[in-house]
Amino acid sequence: MAEVRLVDIEKKYGNFLAVPQQSLTIEDGEFLVLLGPSGCGKTTTMRMIAGLEDITSGDIMIKGERVNDKPPKDRDIAMVFQNYGLYPHMTVRQNIEYPLKLRGVAKAERRKRVEETAAKVELDALLERRPSELSGGQRQRVALARAIVRTPSIFLMDEPLSNLDAKLRVTMRAELKHLHHELGVTTVYVTHDQMEAMTLANRVAVMREGRIVQLDTPKKIYAEPADLFVAGFIGSPSMNLIDGSIKGGVFRAEGVEVPVSLADRDGVVLGIRPEELEIASERAAFGGKLYALELTGDSTLVTLRAGKTSVCARGHADFEAEIDAPCHFAPKAGARFHLFDRASGERLD
Amino acid sequence: MRKTLTYIGERVLLVFVSVIVLFPIVWMFLTAFKQSRDAYSLSLNFQPTLQNFVTVFSEPWNLGSMVLNSVIVATVTVAIAVPCATLAAYSFSRFRVKARKFLFFLILSTQFIPAVVIVLPFFLMFRQLDMLDTRLALIIVNLAIVTPFVIWMIKGFIDAIPTDSEEAAMIDGASRLRVIKDIVLPVAAPGIMTSSIFCFILTWNEFLFALILSRRDAVTLPVGLVSFRTEQGDLWELMSAAGVMITVPIFIMALFIQKHFTRGMTAGAVK
Repeated sequence: MAEVRLVDIEKKYGNFLAVPQQSLTIEDGEFLVLLGPSGCGKTTTMRMIAGLEDITSGDIMIKGERVNDKPPKDRDIAMVFQNYGLYPHMTVRQNIEYPLKLRGVAKAERRKRVEETAAKVELDALLERRPSELSGGQRQRVALARAIVRTPSIFLMDEPLSNLDAKLRVTMRAELKHLHHELGVTTVYVTHDQMEAMTLANRVAVMREGRIVQLDTPKKIYAEPADLFVAGFIGSPSMNLIDGSIKGGVFRAEGVEVPVSLADRDGVVLGIRPEELEIASERAAFGGKLYALELTGDSTLVTLRAGKTSVCARGHADFEAEIDAPCHFAPKAGARFHLFDRASGERLD
Repeated sequence: MRKTLTYIGERVLLVFVSVIVLFPIVWMFLTAFKQSRDAYSLSLNFQPTLQNFVTVFSEPWNLGSMVLNSVIVATVTVAIAVPCATLAAYSFSRFRVKARKFLFFLILSTQFIPAVVIVLPFFLMFRQLDMLDTRLALIIVNLAIVTPFVIWMIKGFIDAIPTDSEEAAMIDGASRLRVIKDIVLPVAAPGIMTSSIFCFILTWNEFLFALILSRRDAVTLPVGLVSFRTEQGDLWELMSAAGVMITVPIFIMALFIQKHFTRGMTAGAVK
């Protein structure tokens, strides 16, 4: 059992509260993603699990054992760093071999395991090269190989794909997913890329200002964001968030009229995802002038504006219209409206 | 036209500065191979001789014992200062202890005090300890002079190494000392080597303390040079021969420095 439990952990730097007191349990074999914008405390949380950062208060339990005072080397973890953290003076072979060497594995066994691991991440032809002679993707593979060579209880990955180009990132993402499936090791993954979080995670912990604001499966977080922050953060393009008020069972904003089942109130934000809207030929729930058309390949993002209100819908790839022409969107059948309080950001429905 | 003039002007200036800098060195090397009657002549037409080198190593000059003193003092100083300074520099670079900046400033501030101000207290202290005219006294003094400088220099090199590799090693199973041995030292080696050579040069050329604290047994090469100023006048050809003996090791080290300094600048972990 490689379950990780953070019990009331808190991290302060002087007077600055980086991670307020909170708890989190990462199940055995789970792939948990800590997701949030820069400076939200996700890397700090991971570094506390790794033992690279002291915790101010609380307990960290790995496999049921309190590890607060254990150095990183005794926590049976492996970590992949954003900048790879490779040893520049060692060859790829020596880099991968290093954790085994430190644990006193015999030379012949080391050689065998390094070659097996290198083959797994397709590095077998590059074993005698130094990191400076490798491309970004290859360095990333070395970092991965070094992490998996000794099969630790927990993998920690700190934005491991952020330095790769978009195409390579997609490839590596699939490889990470496959690797997790193959090894089944508990993994904690830090990213600010919601696409990475959605595609990789069993569960996502969305963080903001050090706090976990929602912890759930990617599907649930996408379908039912806990607050305005999560609603705006998850999804690409992001959810339409429209300021307005509810009167007589109808949400109203400039160019928007949507029936809702909430009592009258002001300061309401209505959310709907672009993919749940379709372009209507006549007056519909959302109306205004066509503001922009963005072809993404398989679809076109159509944005309309009515006063201050801006709404985006995902339309057919061959949709064409004149800018400033009248434009209407209607919710698709089964579309889900989300209602939030403007001031607190809390979900209302 | 203007470009050509600038080009010519630059070259003339470079040649002028080079001549000013190199002339005394060339003069010393030539004089070392001259007979005493040619010492004051600037002519390049002279009968070269190695006799000056033989003379300086024989009685009464005994340059051999001074070479030995200089080698021992400089080598032992480097051997103690560099490992201590490396550990200190690593601590200053990596550990967030209270008053870290103040402590670092305090160490550096020892370099602000003119040597001539503290030479007398050192003299009195070593006289009290009966250590005057010993190599150990010179080693202690030189350690006090070079260690802060080397800490400052090595810290710069360690600062430039990203901490990711060290943290990766700690997670891979290394203790802090093992991290220093396996990761920091190899990556910072060019910088440490450069600092060691600077440290050696500083100690090798140290004159003031050696002059005051040594009399006969612990005299080093720079102090030995003064003995060529005799009642019969300055023995320039012998002084030059001794000067060559002092300079050649430093020249060789300067060549090393060039090689390592470039490596030191380009080393560092992979981004």
